[in-house]
Amino acid sequence: MFLDALRRLTSGPRPVALLFVLLLASFYLISGATQNTALFGRLYSLLLVVNILALLLLLALIGRHLIHLLHQYREHAPGSRLTLRLVVMFVLLALAPVSVVYYFSLQFLHRGIDSWFDLRVEKSLEDALELGRSSLDGRLRELLRQTRQAANELGPVPDSAAALKLNELRQNSEAAEMTLLTLRGRAIVSASMDPSAIVPTMPSEAVLQQLRQGLDYARLEPLGEVGMHVRVAVNLPVLEPGAEPRVLHALFPVAERLSLLADSVQEAFSQYKELAFLRQPLKYSFTLTLSLILLLSLLTAVWAAFFSARRLVAPIRDLAEGTRAVAAGDYDKRLPLPGRDELGFLVRSFNEMTYKIAQSQQAARHSQRQAEEQRTYLEAVLGRLSSGVVTLDGDGVVHTVNAAAGQILGTALDDAVGRLLQELPGRHPALDQFVEALLPHLTPAEPEWRAELVLFGQKGRQVLMCRGALLPGSEQTGPAGLLGEQTQPARPDFTSTQQLPSGSTPATRLAVSRSGGHVIVFDDITTLIQAQRDAAWGEVARRLAHEIKNPLTPIQLSAERLRHKYLATMPAEDAEVLDRSTHTIVQQVEAMKEMVKAFSDYARPPQMRLDMVGVNRVISEVVELYRTDHRPVTFDLQLDPRTPAIQADAGRLRQVLHNLIKNALEACGRDGAHIRITTRCAEETGCRFVELGVCDDGPGIPEEMLANLFEPYVTSKPKGTGLGLAIVKKIVEEHGGMLWVENMPEGGACIIIRLPVKAKGEGLGTRNQIQE
Amino acid sequence: MAFITQLSARHDSRPAGWRRLLCALAFGLCAAVAHADGFEVSSAATQLESDTYQLNARIDYQFSGEVLEALNNGVPLTLRLEIEVQRLRRWWPNETVVQRELRHQLTYHAFSDQYLLRDLNSDKLTIYHTLNLALLALGAVDGYPLLDAGRVEPDQEYRVQLRTALDIEALPAPLRPVAYVTPAWRLSSEWFTCSLTP
Repeated sequence: MFLDALRRLTSGPRPVALLFVLLLASFYLISGATQNTALFGRLYSLLLVVNILALLLLLALIGRHLIHLLHQYREHAPGSRLTLRLVVMFVLLALAPVSVVYYFSLQFLHRGIDSWFDLRVEKSLEDALELGRSSLDGRLRELLRQTRQAANELGPVPDSAAALKLNELRQNSEAAEMTLLTLRGRAIVSASMDPSAIVPTMPSEAVLQQLRQGLDYARLEPLGEVGMHVRVAVNLPVLEPGAEPRVLHALFPVAERLSLLADSVQEAFSQYKELAFLRQPLKYSFTLTLSLILLLSLLTAVWAAFFSARRLVAPIRDLAEGTRAVAAGDYDKRLPLPGRDELGFLVRSFNEMTYKIAQSQQAARHSQRQAEEQRTYLEAVLGRLSSGVVTLDGDGVVHTVNAAAGQILGTALDDAVGRLLQELPGRHPALDQFVEALLPHLTPAEPEWRAELVLFGQKGRQVLMCRGALLPGSEQTGPAGLLGEQTQPARPDFTSTQQLPSGSTPATRLAVSRSGGHVIVFDDITTLIQAQRDAAWGEVARRLAHEIKNPLTPIQLSAERLRHKYLATMPAEDAEVLDRSTHTIVQQVEAMKEMVKAFSDYARPPQMRLDMVGVNRVISEVVELYRTDHRPVTFDLQLDPRTPAIQADAGRLRQVLHNLIKNALEACGRDGAHIRITTRCAEETGCRFVELGVCDDGPGIPEEMLANLFEPYVTSKPKGTGLGLAIVKKIVEEHGGMLWVENMPEGGACIIIRLPVKAKGEGLGTRNQIQE
Repeated sequence: MAFITQLSARHDSRPAGWRRLLCALAFGLCAAVAHADGFEVSSAATQLESDTYQLNARIDYQFSGEVLEALNNGVPLTLRLEIEVQRLRRWWPNETVVQRELRHQLTYHAFSDQYLLRDLNSDKLTIYHTLNLALLALGAVDGYPLLDAGRVEPDQEYRVQLRTALDIEALPAPLRPVAYVTPAWRLSSEWFTCSLTP
């Protein structure tokens, strides 16, 4: 916290501006100090040191800036080159004029100081001094003579009477003070012009020393505030040998005007001499001050260069960083506004741009999410549809396939997405036929079409109801390509592109990104048609049974009655005819009755007694019956012991087997038959079905009959009702199963039945009721 | 910096080793600027007279040529004599009991060709017609009263230390930078120590 505050205070322009002002103030004081005024004189050294320290500080500050800048320059930081260039420019701009001014100032300064001193002035001052001295010299000698005379007069006077004499002598002379003292410096008597002066002025030890050597003393003495005085001290003549030697000490004031003049001369001379002596130090001092000021200005300019260059470059650096951020995908970058100038305008425009990019980015993301949601929704709907749906894009590449499409066509179509429709054949016979049947409707593309397709595959005949339509945005221009080329400009569709499976090729993506295409919806209506036919046949059978069965018995009875009544009575020739005719009638009626019974069996509503039945056991029982037959037939039983028990009506199951075996035997003719019966758990369905196959080695089933094999009255055999397989189919369907026929490649036909494995009481009853 | 030194000479009692250090720091040069051997306290002793301890000392002042030239050209020289009485303490810094500073200003009077010595503490002016006489008088400290005998605790040990130096801060401002960096101008004596004896 404290450090932060300190950093805030020491950064920015304020501290340096403050430092600069302080330094300027101190320089003002220094320049004052060199004029030797009292206060500044006292502060001079302190100011000098403070300024040098401040300059060092400034230097360190600039050094730090410089190192930082060079580091940034080496790192290729944005804006560092411009900053360096600006700094160098500013420094050069500042350095050139300041250096010139410095050089000339120094010259002027030195010349100015030198011009203060003049040999003539010095000489005249010395002359003035000499003149003053010599003018006072005569006076000095006169005063010495006077004092000596007074000493002679005072010589004989004893100490006790000396006071009066001394006072008299002082009054007679012009002395301000006269003192009689011993040579050791003890005052005996004193007489002063100033009555308040009690303590006499004593000569110094040096004066006494001179007197002890027998030399009199007379000298001009500047006594400070009392002005110039002449001090004279002479030895008194010794009267009695052994008496202590005495000294007369006198102070004479110099005439006031003379004293003032002498003081003035002394003052002027002294000052001039001092100034002359200080000439060189003064030059040094001024040079120092000037250099410090120059350094200060220069360093401040350098610092200001750094500061302003940084300020100038900061928005540019921000812009560079901002551009990088935008290039890296960060659209939330906002730059601080540097001001209202052109740079500010630039930065504001940048901010506006990034804001708009961010907005559009967000909108794009939003719409993408929406499209994704819609697509998921559509996929869910398509996935739950029982109709197959295939969509193609403008180039005929499969775009969407739902699960039902694969189920209907009997092959997985998940990997078909992203491939051309033409590339799909070769995988499954039904698919081949489907694609082949579709192509005429797609090239040239019909806006809307409807077709019934008949496919033949492993499941047998399959009837599909197909409806196709152009998707919006598609526009055909000609027969080029599969669906024709599109002239309409491509509509950007990020969603389709991104939702393609990862395996799709770029070409596909390009194609998909174009708009338009085709949607094909198809339903497997085989079962529907079959149900309609079955219903129709059921009705026919029921009517036949009802309409034909009734007259048959009277016909038969009538024929038998005719025979009984007339056969015996008729001539042999006629009787033979009658016998043959009635026999034929009875026989045919019998056959018709059988046929009608078969029809009624077919049309009869199911009355099933469901039970858990082991299919393998039923097969063994049925086959056992045929083994006792004398016909040349061999059975090959491939029964899977793992086959689970199913819920079924055992009697009807037997009927199914009888019908199938009979059918096989009839197909093989009288030459002998080889019948293979297989059971297995249909593992591909997860063992939910028991698969029963009855295969023969006969001629197989003609191709044209395959489609309608299980319909009534479809038979290739000379005799038979044609209801055998129809009844098989009916029973299988009553059990919820399904069946189909396959011609084996090695010859012969196989009828495959699938019966559901269900828990007891589950599902089937309901289904039966529905069928009823 | 020297200004600070002068101020502290007035208000601070500590020996001035650190001042020299600060001076050297301030000018960042002349680390070798040592005191000239021009000033020396040759003797010092105390005596007890009428319940007052008095100091007697003899100091030799030998001015360098530059300083003499300045003096004869009318530049006044200020000399500072620092006197301290300290009570010696074991394991503890000594306690300064008395601290005095005697300042004298020596000037050359060209008109009368004499040297004026002014005691700046008492503003007393003495005139000498030769420099030697003036320096002799300056170097003679006779009976300078240090402290009352009553302030001296009998079982304690005391010592007196004194030194003298030319006061550069009292020189004319233009001369000061030169004086600070010229050895000839940096005149001072070592501390001279004697015990406080009656």
